[in-house]
Amino acid sequence: MGRDAPAAPRMAAPAAAHAAPAVGDADRRRARDIHVAIVGGGGTGAAILHDLTQRGLRCTLFERGELTSGTTGRHHGQLHSGARYAVGDTDIARECMEEVTILRRIAAESIEMNYGLFIALDDDDVDYTAAFERACSESGIPNRRLSTTDALRHEPGMNPNARHAVMVPDGTIDAYRLPLQFLATARAGGATIRTFCEVTGIDSSDGRVSGLTVRDYRSGRDERIAADVVINAAGPWAGSVAALAGVGLPITPAPGTMVAVKGRLCNMVVSHLHPPGDGDIIVPQRNLSIVGSTQWKVDDPDAIRTPPDDILRLLDRARELVPAFAGAEFHAAWTAVRPLSGRTDAGGRELSRNFQVIAHASDGAAGLFSVTGGKATVLRAMGEAVADDVCRFTSLAIAGRTADTPLLAHREFFRRQERVHEPV
Amino acid sequence: MSRSDDRAPAAHGAPEVRAEIRIRRTDGSRSVFSVDAGEYTTILDALEEIRTVHDRSLLYRHSCHHGSCGTCGVIANGERVLACTTRITSDEPLDLDPLAPFPVIGDLAVDATPLYADFPTDASYLRDSDARPNATDPVAPEEVGRFTRFENCIECGICVSVCPVVRPFKGPAALAAYGREIEKRPDREAELLAEIDAPDGVAGCDRALNCSAACPLGVYPAKHIAVLKRKIDARRADYSP
Repeated sequence: MGRDAPAAPRMAAPAAAHAAPAVGDADRRRARDIHVAIVGGGGTGAAILHDLTQRGLRCTLFERGELTSGTTGRHHGQLHSGARYAVGDTDIARECMEEVTILRRIAAESIEMNYGLFIALDDDDVDYTAAFERACSESGIPNRRLSTTDALRHEPGMNPNARHAVMVPDGTIDAYRLPLQFLATARAGGATIRTFCEVTGIDSSDGRVSGLTVRDYRSGRDERIAADVVINAAGPWAGSVAALAGVGLPITPAPGTMVAVKGRLCNMVVSHLHPPGDGDIIVPQRNLSIVGSTQWKVDDPDAIRTPPDDILRLLDRARELVPAFAGAEFHAAWTAVRPLSGRTDAGGRELSRNFQVIAHASDGAAGLFSVTGGKATVLRAMGEAVADDVCRFTSLAIAGRTADTPLLAHREFFRRQERVHEPV
Repeated sequence: MSRSDDRAPAAHGAPEVRAEIRIRRTDGSRSVFSVDAGEYTTILDALEEIRTVHDRSLLYRHSCHHGSCGTCGVIANGERVLACTTRITSDEPLDLDPLAPFPVIGDLAVDATPLYADFPTDASYLRDSDARPNATDPVAPEEVGRFTRFENCIECGICVSVCPVVRPFKGPAALAAYGREIEKRPDREAELLAEIDAPDGVAGCDRALNCSAACPLGVYPAKHIAVLKRKIDARRADYSP
């Protein structure tokens, strides 16, 4: 396993973070005249906003509610090394590991980097271990097998009857504050963020998008906003947003339940060493322990009621990994809806967790891009991939630099407020 | 209404209550909605359902749904709570109001900007984990170096909302952050104490202790303020003739 990443500075030096990109003057001037509208204020939208703003484009983000109020804020909070997906979903596993390394450098303050243990509970798990370790290594994920005795020294909260464990660089994300770091940095660079502002129409002419119609719930007014590029980063709602442009988008909204109990019953992320299933990850965060998740499919991702049966089942499963769950005090149960790429007749676990950026030029909507799938851990990479496609579409030769740019602290989002309500 | 620190009932499927939710709107009126609440239904679940089913224009803040982000503070029948971890357990009418004194964006959504105005600059949001605090053998993987965790304070503003001080005052959340930063960084003590040794700093506190009683995360801001005041008094004593 690699050594600790060097400590990232807590605050980006403004000059370094927002220096003009080293490109030709013509591209730089032209970038400022290109207006990109981003639909969705979750982690993906935040990362896209940051990346394109840093490349010099003029960007506005629209979110129908509060920032990160859809899927992003509600996710389990796991910083994925990729180990969970290494067997069978190599691309996303490799991407996760690369992004863990980058996020520790640019956003260390939003990560509890305490590593994770995959624990084997029975013969099947023991048999699975070699394939798991091999897949991790092939995806570039550092992994080390520990005897139960050694694993318990690292994590006294894990089931002491485990057969053995494999340690990987998992961690815990603050699901709200990590995107806020991207948003704070983007706004400091000149981006505009409009919350409580729902996109109700996508305008186009001659097969190319020309702007948006939005309803600003603060004022109650509808507005037309001109845009050269529209990016659909609405997560599980991306299908509805694409439909505004008359475009069909293959996406499967897949809710999952999580349950938090009081007390930090383990300090590392504890997972079941077997193929991904229900209730097989416990993520500690602050003074809580969170078990997740379940998975089913819906058509409408709004106002999903958390199934009470899920709660009891997850608590049962959690006890197998961390026995102290048995006496723990209930804190909260909630549901988040994954925006899985593609469609399926099965349960959804077979769909790749990788992300896709889809250009809709062939659907008669040039300039419209949708992003689906992905994990919170890879938000920066999603932002970079979308920004690369936008630059290709607009013929701008400007490279991304977000991997090397420490983000502003989350509190700077509120301390640098001057642009928050600025109209386009 | 009950706080989430009540035990989860052992069995599920208890009869639902039909709750009357009365929400303060931007124009000062109240909108009244009925919501069927099961045994795990929280105030935030009810708001989500109202917005989806009845009124798409309803404004409120939320993100994590488990008391970690700090965005969903509201006043529920006069009590400051996190909407996401407060369950609806009665069919008594439930009045919801925005978290005063923060500026209202619309309906129940407030602007959290004033909360952050007086936080210490460059303060870390990470702290050492208290995992196995008494262990004598090295427990962290060598790659980790040391275990860390996030600060307990989720910056929800409830402590500021219950504070009775109306004079200019940095407030309990910011002063608690000063207290935590000085605990973690003793080398910053002189610099940070100088910033809060002022009428609107620790001297502004009337010791009502409402903040410590209301904090949903057990941060106890009043205790931090008392400690900071003692430190400032001690430094003054050192310099007096």
